[in-house]
Amino acid sequence: MLIRSSEQQPRVTLLRRFPVPRNFALARESRIRRGRTWQAPAGAKRVKRFEIYRYDPDSGENPRIDTFEVDVGSCGPMVLDVLIKIKSAIDSTLTFRRSCREGICGSCAMNIDGSNWLACTRPVAGTAEPTTIYPLNRLRVIKDLVPDLTHLYAQYALIEPWLKTRGPAPERERLQSPAEADQLNGKDGKGPAACILCFCCTAGCPSHWWNGRRFLGPAALLQAWRWLADTRDEATAERLDALEDPFRLYRCHTILNCTRTCPKGLNPGQAIAAIKQKIAQRRS
Amino acid sequence: MEQADNPSSPARVQDLGSAREGVGQWWMQRMTAVALIPLTLWLVASFLQHVADDYAALTAWLRRPLAAVLMVLLLMALCYHMALGLKVIVEDYVHVERVKVASVALIHLLSVALAVAGIFATLRIALAG
Amino acid sequence: MPRALRPLSPDLQIYRPQLTSVLSITHRITGVVLSAGAFLLVGWLASAAAGPDDYARLHALLGTGFGLTAMLAWTFALFYHLCNGIRHLFWDAGRGFELEAIYASGWAVLGASIALTAAAWILSSRV
Repeated sequence: MLIRSSEQQPRVTLLRRFPVPRNFALARESRIRRGRTWQAPAGAKRVKRFEIYRYDPDSGENPRIDTFEVDVGSCGPMVLDVLIKIKSAIDSTLTFRRSCREGICGSCAMNIDGSNWLACTRPVAGTAEPTTIYPLNRLRVIKDLVPDLTHLYAQYALIEPWLKTRGPAPERERLQSPAEADQLNGKDGKGPAACILCFCCTAGCPSHWWNGRRFLGPAALLQAWRWLADTRDEATAERLDALEDPFRLYRCHTILNCTRTCPKGLNPGQAIAAIKQKIAQRRS
Repeated sequence: MEQADNPSSPARVQDLGSAREGVGQWWMQRMTAVALIPLTLWLVASFLQHVADDYAALTAWLRRPLAAVLMVLLLMALCYHMALGLKVIVEDYVHVERVKVASVALIHLLSVALAVAGIFATLRIALAG
Repeated sequence: MPRALRPLSPDLQIYRPQLTSVLSITHRITGVVLSAGAFLLVGWLASAAAGPDDYARLHALLGTGFGLTAMLAWTFALFYHLCNGIRHLFWDAGRGFELEAIYASGWAVLGASIALTAAAWILSSRV
């Protein structure tokens, strides 16, 4: 079916996951086992099941999938509301990041029903039965739904996300025309500057799964473009030098899982294509 | 599909640094792709036209200068495009350095050999008495 | 006791197949099939260069069930890789990145490559 915006969920699901074994290629410490089921309380009216990835670093045990039966009639409408309900009423050890609960901090990014999104902006209505919830993909897990983002932040730092200038500082602020500012913010508010660094895209990028050590991934590259597109920045040459690499940039094969999954409706795939064009430009 | 774990230390994210290249292969992948659009359409059209040909009719077709030249061009673009594509696939999935380097070298050698063999065969038919 | 190595969260094992990733991996698989096809093409040229007997032998092999299956796979791979390759060239030119365009062009590529494969086989069996 035709997907018009990233929040749209497919009406029919032909394949919930790729036909590989559940623990395919996972190292011993990463293999997932079946956990326990937390039954719905007596008298619950609208019971929905949630299968959630659990990992307790203090137990010495492997990750497991726990099933929670939740009365969704007695909690808020979003997946984050369900997680908070579970933590407060069923299992207080369930661990996840959350802050703003309105899609602007990027903390509650996780894999819901097989694709990455913010728990606070994903309505429970419309999720699968059972809903499956995993941490962001191919990251070391600290606990439950909390992955270690150190490497992704380091990749963001590598693109030097700050204004770099060469000449003397001007008397007044560095001005931009509205059209120039649109390059960053986007006419529709969906330009690269609207990125909240939730890393849904990078964690959902197969190329980053296989080569995440060297490939910078869509989130960092979208930000690299944000500074290349900034008319006030004067470091384009050295930025392009740092990016032009078979792995850092060209490991992007335009799969476009990034654009499909961005919870802010941004377009990392297009930004990466723009960087490639700029690098091609300086050759002839 | 195993790869070295991502470094936990931000200081290590630079790895070996930028190669300051990659656009060349990216560009040639696209150039050969553009060339292959008309060339493959020509190849398919020719196959459809000559599917019932016997040996004599087929070699007569390849003896025509245009057919021979297009076939040589096709083989060159095809083998170049194939070498670049297979190299990227190996780099994506093979993370044992020695195996990767050996595989990429093998791909390059086989692609050159294939192109030379194909061009030689085409010219032999085209230029035969 | 805490362990030395934390688990790695799953990726391919749980990520939902989408048109984006499915068409991308299909592009890669058809590329590999076409690489095998390149060897077949050169083999075919070499047999024709070697003489009528060798050519007849290869031709007979292509007429078997195995040969026909390989040719069918090659035809679809060729048309799919061609159509999706053109889609990629538009992206490289910076066009067609709206999500709706990504999906519309994806379905169009799938439909076109199936239709072209069918058309090629109908045309070749007509003669």
